[in-house]
Amino acid sequence: MIELQGLTKTYAGKNVVEDVSMTLETGEFGVLIGPSGCGKSTTLKMINRLVPLSSGRIILNGDDVTELPAEQLRRRIGYAIQSTGLFPHWSVARNIATVPQLLKWSKSRIDDRVDELMAMFHLDPAEFRDKYPHQLSGGQAQRVGVARALAADPEVLLMDEPFGAVDPITREALQAEMRRVHGQTGKTIVFVTHDMDEALQLATRIALLNNGRLVQYDRPIEMMVKPADDFVREFFGQADLGLKLLSRRWVHQYQRPPSLTHHATLPGLDHCWRLDEAGRPIVLEGARLDDQHQHTDVRSEWIATPEMSMKEALSRMVWYRVMVLPVVDETGKLIGEVGMQGIMGIESDGGLHAGGPAS
Amino acid sequence: MALPERRRWFGNRVLATLLIAAVASAVLLPFASLSPNRLVSGQPVMLWQALAGWQLATFALIGLLLLIAALAGPLPRRLALWLSLGATLPLLALDFQALGAYAHGALANASPAARVSQGATFWILLFVSALIAIDALQRLRLGPAGRALYGVAALAVIGVCFSGELLSPVSIMREFANQRDNFIDQLVRHLLLVGGALLPALLVGLPLGLLANRRARLRNGLFSVLNVFQTLPSIAVFGLLIAPLSALGRAVPWLGELGVSGIGVAPAIIALVLYSLLPIVRNTYAGLAGVSTGALEAARGMGMTTRQILWRVEIPLALPVILSGLRIVTVQAIGLVVVAALIGAGGFGAFIFQGLGQYAIDLVLLGAIPTIVLAVIADFALQILVSLSRPSGTR
Repeated sequence: MIELQGLTKTYAGKNVVEDVSMTLETGEFGVLIGPSGCGKSTTLKMINRLVPLSSGRIILNGDDVTELPAEQLRRRIGYAIQSTGLFPHWSVARNIATVPQLLKWSKSRIDDRVDELMAMFHLDPAEFRDKYPHQLSGGQAQRVGVARALAADPEVLLMDEPFGAVDPITREALQAEMRRVHGQTGKTIVFVTHDMDEALQLATRIALLNNGRLVQYDRPIEMMVKPADDFVREFFGQADLGLKLLSRRWVHQYQRPPSLTHHATLPGLDHCWRLDEAGRPIVLEGARLDDQHQHTDVRSEWIATPEMSMKEALSRMVWYRVMVLPVVDETGKLIGEVGMQGIMGIESDGGLHAGGPAS
Repeated sequence: MALPERRRWFGNRVLATLLIAAVASAVLLPFASLSPNRLVSGQPVMLWQALAGWQLATFALIGLLLLIAALAGPLPRRLALWLSLGATLPLLALDFQALGAYAHGALANASPAARVSQGATFWILLFVSALIAIDALQRLRLGPAGRALYGVAALAVIGVCFSGELLSPVSIMREFANQRDNFIDQLVRHLLLVGGALLPALLVGLPLGLLANRRARLRNGLFSVLNVFQTLPSIAVFGLLIAPLSALGRAVPWLGELGVSGIGVAPAIIALVLYSLLPIVRNTYAGLAGVSTGALEAARGMGMTTRQILWRVEIPLALPVILSGLRIVTVQAIGLVVVAALIGAGGFGAFIFQGLGQYAIDLVLLGAIPTIVLAVIADFALQILVSLSRPSGTR
């Protein structure tokens, strides 16, 4: 748990951050968001005192750490940044081991921890341990950066626009991975972004800042349905609120058991899926299972995964003009299906206002 | 109408050009000269006059191999490069051997005062083999280990040539024999002067470079002062230092006893330190400034202390640039020490100025050639050090 009490930062007589107070319970994913220059990044950097506080207090798991020497505090707090900040002269393994080495862990403990983290981020230790940062893709480098931040099992993880510099496809993959890692580790995370979709994908709590002040601090859905003022309402936007809500819903919440074969079409379009020997759905376009000629295009995009947001699933349904998508697990095996009717079903049951966020 | 296709004869034009230069000099310029004594200029001796049949045949064979290596067709590219690199070693050996053998023959029945000196073709063959080797090493993209290996091999060949009596009748070696003890003294003195200047220059320059990196306000002033030193002519600095240093040596007796006076070692070292400071400070500053801000922010954010950031992140990443600065000042200091001989500091410059005074060219060369060799060895060694210091990730 981390508590910020009255954080204020004054530069040249002007308050760039003014009296920001918020409490983030253990295991929550807090996102600081706001227009550029709103002080969100400064607020984050005050937590590990890269920016010294002008006034205010920081309580970490009940300890007042405001007066703790900055280096000691920072070793208890993970830190990941946009440029990754990987040390170019150190291998991936040594980069990840940075903080454990500062804390003088034993070599075997460090090695085990590095392997564990690389496995958590799907980086094969045999392949990546001895690589150097310049040999990594942007997404891999960012994974190593986050793994490094988690290495010493910090009490809080700070992330300063970590996915701001990668391409959109990689960013989505990293966001999905971050959700998974957050679920696995139960870490308390403070995350800065200016991207509303990213905030809605990740946050269990959103703090909206404007001109250095905290405007509203709440669950994502509450912020959408009960905005504190016009600024919040405008910032979230009204036109596609429904879609934004769906970006907070996950396929596994809507999934139902699979029908072994399916035949769901819009008029004029025929498609269906069948299973191959490994239990993976193969989607056939322009065909019926009872057709004699088995054939035509196999569409691997016509699927959903349990961790996918309903917004993305809906987008795929609209794009491919299908009413139902098969849901597959990591190995590609069919585990369920999700459809248009399901969306309406839950929302009309009052899911719009009742449900809390999925964490 | 189609244009006739132009055929490319040479796969390696650098090698071809060097070969043409070597052949042209062998035909047009003397290989050695024979004179009745050390002070008068000698009779030119052409290559074919100086050499025995087997030596000419070996030269021709090496030339032929290099020609094949330079041609576009016959050999695969890397094999041709290895061949040309390999051929430089026998070429080097044969150049020395031919000069020594000729000197032995020509002086056997001559008066003891008669001298044999190396001529233009001897030098050109030496430089051509060096340039062929440098070109081949670059094209082969050999790493530090390969370069060092070749350097050692070339030094070994030269060492063998100089070890026996082969070259002893050549004029410059007779000067060396006359000066043998003195030569070793001056070599040691030369190296001590270089080391004595570089050590304090590093001790002052590295912290100044760090300071320039940390305090933006100091930086401009510091660099302007250091720039002024760099633009002063060395002879002028030596001259300017004479008056204050001799006054200091007289005024403070214990300094005088340490050897501080207007001439000699003290002004030489002071001037060399001043000249060395700018490259060291500038490269230290540039190396540190080149460390990415992301790496620095991450290092701070993960709880490294200022000192840990300096030693674990900044210095390792800046080291190649800092060592490049050291390479510049080392080579520069080896050359500048020659001038310091004018104010009595000693070193190889002593031979040069003595030789100039006596109009004994071979004595001048006895000072100049070892200076060049020292500079080349230092440059080569520090170059290898620079590439070794590159972080393995970025090498």
